[in-house]
Amino acid sequence: MFQQFTLAQGVKLFVRPTEQFKTINISFKWKEELTEQNAAIRSVLANILQYSNEEYPTNSAFRKKLDDLYGSVLYVDSSKKGNKHILSLNAETVNDAFLSNEKVVDEIFSVLQTVIFKPLLEEGKFVESIVKREKEQVIERIQSMYDDKTRYAQQRLLENIRPNHPASISANGTVPTVQAITNDQLVQMYKQLLHEDELSIYVVGDVDVNEMKQKFEKHFQFTGRQTIPTSEVSVPLAANDKEFLHEVQDMKQGKLHIAYRTPVTFFSEEFPVMQMTNGILGGFAHSKLFMNVREKESMAYYASSSFASLYGLIFVLAGIDANLKDKAVKLIDEQLKAMQDGEITDLEINQTKSMLTNQLKEAMDSARAQIEIYDQYKELNEDFTVEDWVGKWSDISKEQIGQMASKIEKEFVYFLSGKESEENE
Amino acid sequence: MNETYFKQLEETLYHEQLANGLKVYILPKKGFSKTFVTFTTKYGSIDSKFIPLGKEEAITVPDGIAHFLEHKMFEKEDGDVFQKFSEKGASANAFTSFTRTAYLFSSTNHVLENTKTLLDFVQQPYFTEQTVEKEKGIIAQEITMYDDQPDWRLYFGTIENMYKEHPVKIDIAGTVESINKITAEHLYECYNTFYHPSNMVLFVVGAVNPQEMMAFIKEDQASKTFEEPQDIKRFFPIEQQAVHISERVLQMDVQKPKVIFGVKSPNTTISGNEMLQFELAMQVAIELVFGRTSAFYQDVYETGLIDESYSADFSMEQGYGFTMIGSDSSNPEKLVESIKGAILNHSKEWSFTEEDLKRVTRKKIGFFLRALNSIEYIANQFTRYSFNEMNLFDVVPALENLSMDQVKEAFETLKNEEAHTSFTIIPLEKNNG
Repeated sequence: MFQQFTLAQGVKLFVRPTEQFKTINISFKWKEELTEQNAAIRSVLANILQYSNEEYPTNSAFRKKLDDLYGSVLYVDSSKKGNKHILSLNAETVNDAFLSNEKVVDEIFSVLQTVIFKPLLEEGKFVESIVKREKEQVIERIQSMYDDKTRYAQQRLLENIRPNHPASISANGTVPTVQAITNDQLVQMYKQLLHEDELSIYVVGDVDVNEMKQKFEKHFQFTGRQTIPTSEVSVPLAANDKEFLHEVQDMKQGKLHIAYRTPVTFFSEEFPVMQMTNGILGGFAHSKLFMNVREKESMAYYASSSFASLYGLIFVLAGIDANLKDKAVKLIDEQLKAMQDGEITDLEINQTKSMLTNQLKEAMDSARAQIEIYDQYKELNEDFTVEDWVGKWSDISKEQIGQMASKIEKEFVYFLSGKESEENE
Repeated sequence: MNETYFKQLEETLYHEQLANGLKVYILPKKGFSKTFVTFTTKYGSIDSKFIPLGKEEAITVPDGIAHFLEHKMFEKEDGDVFQKFSEKGASANAFTSFTRTAYLFSSTNHVLENTKTLLDFVQQPYFTEQTVEKEKGIIAQEITMYDDQPDWRLYFGTIENMYKEHPVKIDIAGTVESINKITAEHLYECYNTFYHPSNMVLFVVGAVNPQEMMAFIKEDQASKTFEEPQDIKRFFPIEQQAVHISERVLQMDVQKPKVIFGVKSPNTTISGNEMLQFELAMQVAIELVFGRTSAFYQDVYETGLIDESYSADFSMEQGYGFTMIGSDSSNPEKLVESIKGAILNHSKEWSFTEEDLKRVTRKKIGFFLRALNSIEYIANQFTRYSFNEMNLFDVVPALENLSMDQVKEAFETLKNEEAHTSFTIIPLEKNNG
């Protein structure tokens, strides 16, 4: 999919020339071990780098420059994948071909160079007022999760099943870890990006591959660094002593979140089989959960499952009338049980294969998704292609899916609801 | 079949109005693997009073019915339409807005078969009292889900503040009470009136052969019979210029207060080119005064009155329109004061230069070109534009020709204090309960 070049040890450039898009997408991804503290520092650093730099010392000057470049998008963000924290610098700019007599692509390279190599420092430190405010912004981002009940319920579930584990560590850190960050730690982390973190750079758009390679070699001279490949995340063997938690907020709906452990991860041979199994259980609108919990029983607006393959976890989510929790749990249990008993039709298998295929192919129509998917799948195979992956689903049998379903083990039920339902219990 | 080439954008649009009145548009996109098809009726939550097809007297139907109808279209005598789409690897969906109901799918294979499924399921209604009853539980859950979303409550609270009579003030999904009144008969009446092909647009974009697709659609439509097209009579109440309620506060279980400052637009009876220019002029004006490069933004960001949730937008359809500026804020009252101050100052003295205008229009053009990478954006927006007699592909030239006077004049519409309102959500007072 992407042509690959090693710019320095641990620094790789991936280029995908295509006429599919009217814009050029560029992404720098720095990876580092995921810990609460790292996540917190890198989230604040991301904000600082996005706010201003030596050449454009105020945010307004910086934004004006980007607006002038036909509203080129530039943002720095914080995310996680497995046991890695990823700080990404992303840019998207209009392809010069669509503008009359203007050259914005070269200029965006120069802006990126500025963001990376010329941060706004005073005597070797970031500007204290900016640090203070951007810490505040990240804290508010973390707190705002509370207002989104689905995200909040999911985070509470994760904290209960995998405390202090990459699965539950937020890519933004926690309020106390962000509060504790010092200016020195931020500077230290910035230097780490330049010299130590594993770095992958992506370019997607109508570009000349060799020209890109030369540009990066010339303008982005990163030093070599040691890197550790992304690996499987360890899963604690001991089961939780508690299996159910009901929490209450002032709200109307009941949010049911169930976690299941599986022995399969993204790195396992059986990963494609688990994708099929999850798809039949609750990945789509033809799946067992949608058909039975929503359509047959009219109990929910949404009822679905997802496979967090890097952590070997499956989640079932349903938004229900809070008084129907027990009934919903029973109904969900029955769907998984049916699969374990081999109650899987050829129709379900065919539908799920078609949908998984469509989903992957469709994702290729977005430059961002091309980058994200390749960034993950290259850990398995740098020659990843959509066609090869689609082939892995084609021969999966009903028996394999039934066996896979039998390896899915319910671990924890988390329920978030309003006060009334608590009183009725 | 007509062909229009947009040179600057390097896009060719194929289009034709069929004998039954249906407007069909096809936009092939190079390099794309999927095809996205939307089938949209000009019928949304605000169309609750109308004269049903073949009748003489106007009726008023229960709130939330357009959305209810959208849900019910997916269920047929032989089962759920999602099943059929899944078999052919298509992911299907639908949405209802104030003014439109859209049915759509995307797929990377079996595109003609999936198009047939889409046309058939939208053009063959099947409602029974039993299936209608069953849906009420699902939609009630959908409504409760939205009730728990503070940002949704904030948005609707602001619209309710602005509008006294117009049905835009009613939640698109209705209420649990109003949907309980819906019957199969209601659904047929709405369906027959608003789902006539002459009130609909079919848009196909992505990996598609335009000749083959157009022939396929024409053949399908020719094989079906429809009533003679008729003008649909819709009725809307007269709405005052002033807002209904100028200030409201709601308590919810949130971490931080949230506020939207809204301005009701006085200019809502326009369409076509006039609407396109006004809409763009408003957006540019808002970007200049309230965008990320503005002095206002710099000030409220640095003093901590806003955070990353900040947004400032203008949106309109025929009959209503509003500007909304809002954010999570530790001091919502002070933020509202600052917004009002910025409106007052800029209407007294318009300090922007041609250079500023050029920068903002460039930004908008860039945004538009980026959006054209998304075939979902193209299909949805093109349909919206077409229902308002505008052309999506006129956006770039219209932006290039926008004058400072137009922008200034658009901004003036924000001045009237009677049209100002604010809606605030504040955290509950905790009582350790």
